Amino acid sequence: MEEIIRVENLHKRFGKLNVLKGIDLTVSRGEIVSVIGPSGSGKSTLLRCLNHLEAADRGSISFEGEFIAQADKNGNAVYKKSKEVLAVCSRLGMVFQNFNLFPHKTALENLMEAPLTVKKADKAETERKAMELLAKVGLTDKKDSYPGQLSGGQQQRVAIARALAMEPEIMLFDEPTSALDPELIGEVLEVIKQLAAESMTMVIVTHEMGFAREISDRVIFMDDGRIVAEGAPDDIFVNPEHPRVKAFLGKVISRG
Amino acid sequence: MDFDYLSKITFFIMKGTGVTLQIYVVTLVFSIPLGIICAIGKISRFKALRAVIWAYTWLFRGTPLLLQLVFFYYGLTAMTGGYIQLKPLSAAFMAFSINYGAYFTEIFRSGIQSVSKGQYEAAKALGMSPWQTMRRVVLPQAVKVVLPPMGNEAITLIKDTALCSVITVTEILRNSQVTVARDARVDSFLVAAAIYLCLTFAIMQVFRVLEKRFAYYKS
Ligand SMILES: Nc1ncnc2c1ncn2[C@@H]1O[C@H](COP(=O)(O)OP(=O)(O)OP(=O)(O)O)[C@@H](O)[C@H]1O
Ligand SMILES: [Mg+2]
Repeated sequence: MEEIIRVENLHKRFGKLNVLKGIDLTVSRGEIVSVIGPSGSGKSTLLRCLNHLEAADRGSISFEGEFIAQADKNGNAVYKKSKEVLAVCSRLGMVFQNFNLFPHKTALENLMEAPLTVKKADKAETERKAMELLAKVGLTDKKDSYPGQLSGGQQQRVAIARALAMEPEIMLFDEPTSALDPELIGEVLEVIKQLAAESMTMVIVTHEMGFAREISDRVIFMDDGRIVAEGAPDDIFVNPEHPRVKAFLGKVISRG
Repeated sequence: MDFDYLSKITFFIMKGTGVTLQIYVVTLVFSIPLGIICAIGKISRFKALRAVIWAYTWLFRGTPLLLQLVFFYYGLTAMTGGYIQLKPLSAAFMAFSINYGAYFTEIFRSGIQSVSKGQYEAAKALGMSPWQTMRRVVLPQAVKVVLPPMGNEAITLIKDTALCSVITVTEILRNSQVTVARDARVDSFLVAAAIYLCLTFAIMQVFRVLEKRFAYYKS
């Protein structure tokens, strides 16, 4: 299968805190990878390194076979020029826990912003596609609403559509439902499932274990900056071998 | 009431109003862009630039505007041995633009910094360049935040223009002082007060409308 992202020996530290301690990961086209693990284990940081919101310290990251950051002979990550990195950013869609919609723009304008400014796309065509995406996430009637007028679930659906508007090769989700009231989680998960059915490549950091098990081709368990276990959903959720995975799942399940 | 006298002095003071408004507009036209540029510089990663802008805002917010005005009019001339000799109005333009630029720098800086980190990240994740992010995402949101403090400055500026009377600029206060001295009657001061009140009222209305226009979204 064609590789979209390959990460080798990725290290990231914040000051003295070593957050990622040598991550190796590849994601192939059409694959759905869930990342689970305890709080503080580095899941968000990994995702943010994948789309260059954080710069890795050591290791290499490539996108569709091209190095974005390459390890030099000492292992330190050397990045391409920021312009080239930015061009890659626009081909990865990112969905944040807190939506991060542009509050001064309507739902429709949120979707159109990046295609118009980054791709300099045609306005009428962009609007047509944006309306299609809003229909896809079930928010056609909210096209003229500002984010402040939408529920959390609606905002997150707009945010997903906004990322899709750039026609990304891969979608990255960082706990897309963690900031939502329980009754709004379902509508967002539905949209993600719909993307899965269309074989969108996705990396999803989530605390929704049932959802991860249902949707993923592969599940990654992170602990303390490392990938501790990795495998098919059933291997991780049904018969976890690794004691730390067992302990984590035990805690999560007993919690709710 | 001596309407004949009142209308005569009002006409004279109104001529000063033209000059006051000239100082007002020129100051805003130069100080707002200056403030935006310095605000962006002040949050940039260039340490030397940040230090220079810090010194600029410290100097011009830390000394009286009147002193700055006098400096640009008399001080520059004395220091350069008469080489630079600004006209009163030019000195007023310079002092006011630079002084208000310093205040606007601080206002815009806090406005820009009120925009959350998540907005920058969302823009970057969509492939927007830092400049596109500033222009399309950050500044439009900062405008809403800075409007109330800008409104305060805009009103203060009307009143501050009266300082220019000290360097012989024939604005509202200067013209009324001249009539008071000539006629030994204080009516002119009342006329001046009335004009200042009208001007500040107009500015207040402008900002009320602007703030309403930006109330269309919650940040
Ligand atoms: N910008 C930063 N500066 C300093 N420390 C940071 C920064 N971002 C993350 N960290 C630290 O790095 C560690 C890993 O954080 P990260 O957000 O990647 O964890 P996570 O697995 O996503 O956790 P959670 O499940 O709570 O979201 C944490 O200890 C966190 O405090
Ligand atoms: Mg996280």
